[in-house]
Amino acid sequence: MRKRIKDLRKFFVYDKAHHSCRQKPCDPMLLASEFQRNNTSDTDRAVVRLKYTLDNEKPVVFRNEKIALMRTIPNPPELFTEEEMEAIKTSHRIHERGEVCNINVDYSMLLDMGFNAKRREISESIKKFQGCNDAASVHYLEQLISILDSVETLAKRYRIEAEKVGNMVVAENFAHIPENPPATFLQALQMLRLLHFTMWCGNNYHNTLGRFDQYMYKYLKNDMDKGLLDYDDALELVEEFFLSLNRDSDLYPGMQQGDNGQSLVLGGLNEDGSDSYNVLSEICLKASLELKLIDPKINLRVSKNTPIERYILGSQLTKQGLGFPQYSNDDVVIDGLIRLGYDKKDAYNYVVAACWEFIIPGRGMDIPNIDALSFVKAVQDATFEKLGHSRNFEEFLSFVKENIRKQADEICENTKNLYIFPSPFISLMMEGCVENAKDISIGNRYNNYGIHGTGISTAVDSLASIKKYVFETGEISAETIIKALKNNFNDYEQIRNKLRYEAPKFGNDDDYVDSIAVSLLDSFAESLHNRKNERNGIFRPGTGSAMYYIWHSKKTPATPDGRDSGEEFAANYSPSMFARLKGPISIIKSFTKPDLKKVINGGPLTLELHDTVFRTPEAVSKVAMLVKSFIDLGGHQLQLNSVNRDTLLDAQKNPEKYRNLIVRVWGWSGYFVELSKEYQDHIIKRAELSI
Amino acid sequence: MSAGTIFDINEFAIYDGPGIRQTVFLKGCPLRCSWCHNPEGQNPSPELMINKASCISCGHCKKVCNNESCIACGKCVSYCPLNLRKICGELLTAKELAEYIRDKSDYYANYGGGVTFTGGEPLMQPQFLAETLSLLPDIHTAIETSGYADNKIFNSIIQLIDYVIMDIKLVDSSLHLKYTGAENKIILENLASLCSSNKKFVVRIPVIPGVNDNKTEYSAVAELVKDAPLLERVELLPYHKTAGAKYEMINRKYTPMFDVNRPVFIDQEVFSQYGIRSVVL
Repeated sequence: MRKRIKDLRKFFVYDKAHHSCRQKPCDPMLLASEFQRNNTSDTDRAVVRLKYTLDNEKPVVFRNEKIALMRTIPNPPELFTEEEMEAIKTSHRIHERGEVCNINVDYSMLLDMGFNAKRREISESIKKFQGCNDAASVHYLEQLISILDSVETLAKRYRIEAEKVGNMVVAENFAHIPENPPATFLQALQMLRLLHFTMWCGNNYHNTLGRFDQYMYKYLKNDMDKGLLDYDDALELVEEFFLSLNRDSDLYPGMQQGDNGQSLVLGGLNEDGSDSYNVLSEICLKASLELKLIDPKINLRVSKNTPIERYILGSQLTKQGLGFPQYSNDDVVIDGLIRLGYDKKDAYNYVVAACWEFIIPGRGMDIPNIDALSFVKAVQDATFEKLGHSRNFEEFLSFVKENIRKQADEICENTKNLYIFPSPFISLMMEGCVENAKDISIGNRYNNYGIHGTGISTAVDSLASIKKYVFETGEISAETIIKALKNNFNDYEQIRNKLRYEAPKFGNDDDYVDSIAVSLLDSFAESLHNRKNERNGIFRPGTGSAMYYIWHSKKTPATPDGRDSGEEFAANYSPSMFARLKGPISIIKSFTKPDLKKVINGGPLTLELHDTVFRTPEAVSKVAMLVKSFIDLGGHQLQLNSVNRDTLLDAQKNPEKYRNLIVRVWGWSGYFVELSKEYQDHIIKRAELSI
Repeated sequence: MSAGTIFDINEFAIYDGPGIRQTVFLKGCPLRCSWCHNPEGQNPSPELMINKASCISCGHCKKVCNNESCIACGKCVSYCPLNLRKICGELLTAKELAEYIRDKSDYYANYGGGVTFTGGEPLMQPQFLAETLSLLPDIHTAIETSGYADNKIFNSIIQLIDYVIMDIKLVDSSLHLKYTGAENKIILENLASLCSSNKKFVVRIPVIPGVNDNKTEYSAVAELVKDAPLLERVELLPYHKTAGAKYEMINRKYTPMFDVNRPVFIDQEVFSQYGIRSVVL
């Protein structure tokens, strides 16, 4: 790593010295009360709010940086007053914060064009709508132009500030972009930073950077072909860009610090079967390896033909303990998306959203985490209501499947009357929005809803226990097990221990249990098949849990796998926290048995590897083989952590010694010492399972 | 059909031979190395093992026990709410073990690996081991051994194996006796026959602070193996303090005869002077 980057990393990340340039937080209701008084339309509110934030940003340029922009306004003001928000919520379903989030815009729609050309395109569209007297559309398009004006003005103010502090590199870049398309790789990085920055200023969060190595490649190649940049120069610039993503990250909304969706996707199959991995993909992996920062989170697209060297590079990154790369298997994901109705071209272009979900850049207004089904509740209800009357396991299982269907009915019904706040700036980078004067919040080519499924391993293990002890050996009667569960195993300790530690578990490569997982996931897929949502999209089942698993597990009583009341489920697609398993190979074999193409919303198998398995380069290459085996066996998505329980315990006690210790939380990585104790404890518990 | 006692089978072993492997731990060892990190591998019989660190002293285990001293009956195991007790050591036939290994052997073969027998000292159960090996002719097999076994046994088992990992603790015979409880004459004889055999092998040195981490010992090992054509490399395993972790679990005290806090002296230079590859694990 070059000294300049080391200095910048120290300045921005370790010392956070730039925080002193921030302005005081503004009154969140600064604009909303006036909006309410004037009865301002929602779209106009979004425009005014974004322009307000951009216009009040204070340019700050540092002398040794080549890529500028930092947030000085900590909180963009709200769009609605509390009273208005209440009213909206009574008549509409609001997803998360109500903003457009968790999608992947097509950055090249502004990047490759420049604002001047985009303005001309919008003007053409305005003429068309003027011709048919569509005043609303004309107004919307004029608002888009006014946003471009504000972004340009901010860029101009940055140019002036750069000149003032004598940073001519930044000044020259802002003299060219964003009016014109970037002339160099550096300008492309600066412009991408500007676009991403503007999205955050509009309160649009969790929006991934997508296929950075694809849409940025031509700029790099051009510079390299001309001899303007060599490999190491390019690495330096990518590192600086990655650093820029860590400047404002404490201001981003999220479940915990680090949950900000600044992920990117590298590599992937092209439609003709060729491999899109290029020199920029490799530079990104190397940059991440050197910087050791939580942002950006890296997803690596792989397939059965991916060379082992790439897995080795990925495993070196895993060794750093950052919790990425996360791997996704093109052989499974692309087919799965095509089966769901995505065009072949789009399926091949998939990216990973903020955490795990597979989405389409520039064309997808999917909401991939709109709700979650609880597998455990389906089993639990069947146990209490039907176990006593079931003649055999198959009959009992059919009741569980019926419950899955009922939950699916409810979940789908609950998605109705969705309202999403307008997001005019994002609309500039989504297909057809300018042409049709239609905001992205209303929808786009794909408007599918993703449904997570929580507690799969707890549900599978519970069913395995029932199958074995109630229906096969008869060791535990239906009546006894129901009583034991209702009493949270008080006075039934022996039964609890048997269920918990002796019963068959998902993750031991045992068909007896694994076949139940196959059956539950198939049933989940069937329960959502052929349903339409109100945006004319479909419902996509997945193996993720997001934070739903915590909410679901807290209100779930004791379960037939020996889990105590309220004890948490495992996150995503992972074995139960207390299952004693043979090892990672059995886990991989079990978890690749279901047809994962049917449940392809996203949600990884997570493996915790003890940091001693990375001791030598040869050992790292064997970790790479383990990852490859998951892909070879038809796994869809894999995330690995390198952990050491002792280190985590020490970090909990002595946070000051570990301020840069990074861990994977769910779909994202964060600084361990900045997490709340609840999540720290969860991570420590997970580390106890390390192999 | 002979039966044997094993105390563990691990998946995804990466330091015990080529590729990704499974390792089978055979119970029982004739040595008593002062730094042994698998003390439950020493006693050839099954024994009770308790993870005392997490014990909440609920007393459920005590209520069901009528014996004055532990007879490893296992009755208490299922009474522990935290599953902290287990009987370490399982008796099974060579056929059963071979079937278990075969269940995932295709996976391991795909990633350049196979199975490694370790312990304890696997050569302490030669018939069981030989019979198991005879049932796995198509699987890549390795052994990790102290070499402390009758020459005939050593040579006959080696013939059935594809890859050998042989520990050399100390070349100095009196120190060997002091720290392992046994003389090393037979070990060095077996090393000599391994050097002239047709098997690929590595020599592994557990590097113990103040015991064998000196130039004299390193050179002595290098001198013994320098002419072996099939020696792949020497592996140095620096002592780690966690070695003592499991003694309490089998109700024993860890009493190392050396200073566990002293940093180990690693010298790979000695081996390169002899033209021998070495690696620190």
